[in-house]
Amino acid sequence: MKFVCIRCESFMTFENVQVPSEQSLGVTFGCPTCGSKVAMVTNPGETAMVNALGVKIGGRTTPVAPMELTRESLKDVRPDAVPAIPAATAQQAMLAKEMEKPAAGGTCPFSSMIAQMKGDGATTDAVGALAWAADATERLERVPSFMRPMIQMGVENYARKNGIATITPEVMDLSKSDQGDMVWSLEAEQRLDNIPSFIRPMAKKEIERIARERGMTQVSDALMEESKSKFLGMGY
Amino acid sequence: MAEKDLKTILKKIHFTDDAQVMKQIVDQSLQVKLRMGRIRRKIVVMSGKGGVGKSMTTANLSLALARAGLRVGVLDVDLNGPCIPQMLGLDGGFEFMADGVVPATGPYGMKVASMAFLLRPAAPLRWKGPMDLSPVWLGLQEMSVVREFLADILWGDLDYLVVDLPPGAAADKPPVIIGYLPELDGGIVVTTPSEVAQAVVRKSVVYARDLGIRLLGLVENMSGVFCPECNAPVPMFDGGSADLCADLDLRLLGKIPFDPEMARACDTGTPLPPDHRISRYFDAIAEMVQSAVEPQTVVEPQATAVAR
Repeated sequence: MKFVCIRCESFMTFENVQVPSEQSLGVTFGCPTCGSKVAMVTNPGETAMVNALGVKIGGRTTPVAPMELTRESLKDVRPDAVPAIPAATAQQAMLAKEMEKPAAGGTCPFSSMIAQMKGDGATTDAVGALAWAADATERLERVPSFMRPMIQMGVENYARKNGIATITPEVMDLSKSDQGDMVWSLEAEQRLDNIPSFIRPMAKKEIERIARERGMTQVSDALMEESKSKFLGMGY
Repeated sequence: MAEKDLKTILKKIHFTDDAQVMKQIVDQSLQVKLRMGRIRRKIVVMSGKGGVGKSMTTANLSLALARAGLRVGVLDVDLNGPCIPQMLGLDGGFEFMADGVVPATGPYGMKVASMAFLLRPAAPLRWKGPMDLSPVWLGLQEMSVVREFLADILWGDLDYLVVDLPPGAAADKPPVIIGYLPELDGGIVVTTPSEVAQAVVRKSVVYARDLGIRLLGLVENMSGVFCPECNAPVPMFDGGSADLCADLDLRLLGKIPFDPEMARACDTGTPLPPDHRISRYFDAIAEMVQSAVEPQTVVEPQATAVAR
């Protein structure tokens, strides 16, 4: 469904979704030309119809949990099948908890979160043990604050693994393409990017599995071509 | 200013799916395709009539395929009356992982998924929300549930996925399944020798063919009893399914006599041993199913070739 701004002769674009009352959705659209806004409010029945499609209005902000729709909709769901809080929400909750703590002695508010992500319980040396070049720091600061600790941890892990003492923008670029033990050729990576983001991790895992089975350490364009029949029609 | 013509306006402007509805629906279908791409053969077990032994046939056919050394998955799509887990002796549940749901493991390592693993014991299938009794909404909801069973279960690499459909000559599940699995290898129809059952089953055969489902054959369940004296199967009904099969150009895959030991095995979830007489019936059916769906390599016998 689309709304048209008759005056400007353009489609209005989706802006946000609100929940004005239980089982009702308010979806706001705005005209990109004149800025006029219109809100569509659904009744509970219409909301239920949209939900039954497994579609999130405005797109997804968190990954789909397996059998999410079924588990969320069942009246008598088994306790062990109740869906957990989505990972992103859990992360936000952890972040909020950290932000509530008083900042004493310049402690990084994300340190315990990072330590938890590392899984070793350590709170020291989680950040700051490596030197960051000024331009790398500047680039890191451009990353949204809630993403920054994860990015920093990823780059630093990469630097430690490769014996790099100073993090530069080049090291940041290299860490982005670091895929662990399996190396992806540029062409293969580009083809992977063509697969819809929702199923990309699964496709990647599967292709790496095939590569490992064959004793390969690199995913090549040729392997992607060979695996194509498995993922036929998925955009690469 | 003259009133603007909407049709003219729409011709001028370019549609963009900024709400990403289409993308999400496409992603859902791709997820099914990806998961199902690792399964070589998919077959459905169906019948227009309830209580004829679809689930029993599904369970035992799957066991026979697994006994033959094949990797088998069983999907119980009878959402309202799931009974495959009980027949296979499974009382556990699913394990939910980030990338999918780990199915229960049945006899011979079979992977099993069923609504029974999501519902509290003895609870009927009931949905939350204001539309739970609306037939229109229910159809949509159950379609999405079937999709999640296909797409979100970690089936892995399988040789066969056997899908147990609920009863109903023109129920909505066959079109849903065929919609998600256009590569479906075929369907198996189950009936009893009863004329009443066969009249309904006949409708489901016509309906399945209308949908483009290739029917591999028919299983006649409860076709007789074993004679207590000589152990030979004795018919319980006049007639049988042979005429129905001939009339519908359908292969008769097997006639399964009623056996109290089989009934007990299903009730207690203890599959019959491989050398049981009923197991052997299903071994024969499994062989016929395999020969119907597996590509055949026809090699002309050498002697014949020489003679020519």
